[in-house]
Amino acid sequence: MTHPRSARLSRRQFLALSASAAALAAAPAAAQSRRGGTFISAKTTEAPSLDPIMEQALSRQRLDPLFYNRLVEWGHDGKLEPVLAESWTTSADGRTWTFKLRRGVKFHNGRELVSEDVKYTYERILDPKVGSGGRGYLSAIDHIELPDAQTVRIVTKQPSASLLAGMAGGWSAIVAREAVEKSDLRRTAMGTGPFILQEWMPQSHLKARRNPDYWDKSKPAVDAVEIKVIPDEANIIAQLRTGNIHHALLEDNKNYLLVKDDKRLRAMRAPRLGFDMVNINHGRKPYTDLRVRQALSLAVDRTEVLQAAAAGLGSVTGPLTPAMRPWALSADAFKEWYTPNLDRARKLLADAGFPSGFKTTLKVIPTFPTMVAGAQVIAAQLKKIGVDVQIIQEEYGVWIKAIIKPNFDFDLTMNATTGDADPDSLFYRRFHSSEKQWNNDGDPDVDVLLDQGRTTLDPARRKDVYDKVQRLMVDKAIQIWTFAPDMIDVTQAGVQYQQHFTTNYYGFRTVALDK
Amino acid sequence: MRRYVLLRTLSIVPALLGVSVAVFLLVRLIPGTVVDQMVGTEGSYSEESMRALRAFFGLDAPIHVQYARWLGAVLRGDLGTSWRTGMPVVQMIVSRLEVTVELTLAAMLVALAVGVPLGMLSARRENTGLDHLVRLVSLFSLSVPVFWQASMLILAVSLWLNWAPAVDFVSLTRDPLRNLAIIALPGLALGTAVAAVFMRMTRSSVLEVMRQDYVRTARAKGVAEPGVLWRHALKNSLIPLITVAGVQMGYLLGGAVITEEVFTLPGVGRLLLWAVFQRDYPLVQGTILFISALFMLSNLLVDLLYAYVDPRIRYG
Repeated sequence: MTHPRSARLSRRQFLALSASAAALAAAPAAAQSRRGGTFISAKTTEAPSLDPIMEQALSRQRLDPLFYNRLVEWGHDGKLEPVLAESWTTSADGRTWTFKLRRGVKFHNGRELVSEDVKYTYERILDPKVGSGGRGYLSAIDHIELPDAQTVRIVTKQPSASLLAGMAGGWSAIVAREAVEKSDLRRTAMGTGPFILQEWMPQSHLKARRNPDYWDKSKPAVDAVEIKVIPDEANIIAQLRTGNIHHALLEDNKNYLLVKDDKRLRAMRAPRLGFDMVNINHGRKPYTDLRVRQALSLAVDRTEVLQAAAAGLGSVTGPLTPAMRPWALSADAFKEWYTPNLDRARKLLADAGFPSGFKTTLKVIPTFPTMVAGAQVIAAQLKKIGVDVQIIQEEYGVWIKAIIKPNFDFDLTMNATTGDADPDSLFYRRFHSSEKQWNNDGDPDVDVLLDQGRTTLDPARRKDVYDKVQRLMVDKAIQIWTFAPDMIDVTQAGVQYQQHFTTNYYGFRTVALDK
Repeated sequence: MRRYVLLRTLSIVPALLGVSVAVFLLVRLIPGTVVDQMVGTEGSYSEESMRALRAFFGLDAPIHVQYARWLGAVLRGDLGTSWRTGMPVVQMIVSRLEVTVELTLAAMLVALAVGVPLGMLSARRENTGLDHLVRLVSLFSLSVPVFWQASMLILAVSLWLNWAPAVDFVSLTRDPLRNLAIIALPGLALGTAVAAVFMRMTRSSVLEVMRQDYVRTARAKGVAEPGVLWRHALKNSLIPLITVAGVQMGYLLGGAVITEEVFTLPGVGRLLLWAVFQRDYPLVQGTILFISALFMLSNLLVDLLYAYVDPRIRYG
């Protein structure tokens, strides 16, 4: 049998073609092939609990892709990918979403995933008596129907543009009901993910082994993952240099400079969802006055703050960070306010009745290195327009108690957030007047746009809405957005590691060791 | 004597009860609760969710009810469950005890091996250059904070030997060599700090004893100087050292927080520090109660040792 076209190929052409075809086919296979080995990572901070429904800590959110899956997940390109849901459809009115579950997916206890698990997980998150922090992400859901064991039908209260993002977000990992009821997900993990929890000693180490029944047979490439807690990042750098660990995600970007030229190591930089900011208490004088807030915004040189706090390894950011493609406007869009203009700032202060400035306080948490360094620079900058800033250091727990609703016990405070991939998830609960976090003054114009952004399903129109929101929030100096530090991962040179910058997660599912 | 031991042991009970009240109240004086820790400032929680969490941890009950519940459980031998990790408090403490006990023993060994001989040497050569040098070194060791000393030690070793102390603790029973390699550096760092205390104590104690009449008598009888020192002076100068060693042992068993933190050892001290930061009340209370009990027991042991070492001391 001769294929009619191959007859026209010369022998040389045929060989060349088949060689390149083989190379094409082999490339992804090589990247995903199983090479085994135990991958060892270290970090300074520790997840206090592993419960995906109850634990807020970012360190928990980073870990749970090891043990859990979501119906949809963010890919490396920032697009949503089908995972536990193989496909889905939306009704014409945009309110009914029907998800078909992937078949043959098993929990770590061997039981097959069914639609009831999805309903149970989401309803647990939504139940106010449970007290999950993930409620806001799924609040669009009105009720969930289960036509059969492989189908989940979600009916929303109104068309929701952020439902899928919420389902892919940090709280929506699907858990096995029996694990919640008979065990304790704070100290165990029972999901459908690529690794099975073996041992966890809080503040010390966590060990997980490959899940041999993982539905995606190409993953994971390593046999086991071990995560060590090393509270001092200088020690982590020492461990990397001596080859005791394979990987670390740096918390203090300045340490990048220590490893970037080390041939044995590979230091990677990517934009990060999270960012640093200064919250302004709109409920306290003189910050009730828009002109005062604008004056502060004009006096702060964000590039200088970035330089001091993160050695310049990051980018000046507006309300949405550069990692939030395609939503973020670049910092250039805000140059009216982001180019320091002390004369205009002084004039605004004088107009507001403070020609010679005023005294204020700025809170920081001493264990957050970027906050401490940033606060000192900002205090010096504000001094130039007569604002006398007293820096107050508060232990994390004390600080939280002071900052949160309804206490709002601060004038200005440094703050950092883990960010979010979707603008609605990021903005609504922080800036809508019905939520009123950090004592931002609810702004009616911002409210209208945030409500629109929630329900606008068309991506182009939605982008338009959030472009307006970003500009408006900077104009009104709702708070001072400063910078988004880069996400910096350091690995041994022989490790294949892909940064998952579209989320805050580790790239452990695809990591491979050179042998 | 038996009566004394019994009474002395029983006296621990009211002391522990006092500790339990104190720690229960003190930990609640720190602003913020575990619920604040959990909700953070991301604004992901509604008031309703926060109320639900408070109720889950029993924080909505009056404080005396909370105390009664906790004490009741403790009396039944149940230290409760850590709020954050969901693990039994006892299990969390026990899993960290090996590190702390080993570190304590290593530090005591270093301290005794270095401190006592140096103290004796210093006393023997009183007011010579050597004496001054030893005293200077011990003063330095006492004044330098242990975290600096520990960090310098790690830095020096990693720079000169290109070796970083391993950060994953391995049990002595599983891999003795590796275990000793891990515990050596922190033991040294902690031990030298304690050695300075022992050295000064031994020196002054030996000096005092050497001025006693019976030493002069021994010398007059023609006993050689080493004999005077080893057979007559040392034994008698041991008594104050036992007190100091006992107290130090108690402190160390309570967890050398800083040393454990710098060397990344999963010991009791780090556990306690973390529990305080997390406002994990059952874990804080349980750990402190446990540490207090250890401290009291080590003091009891010292008291009993007294009677053994010094026949003049008898308890009625």
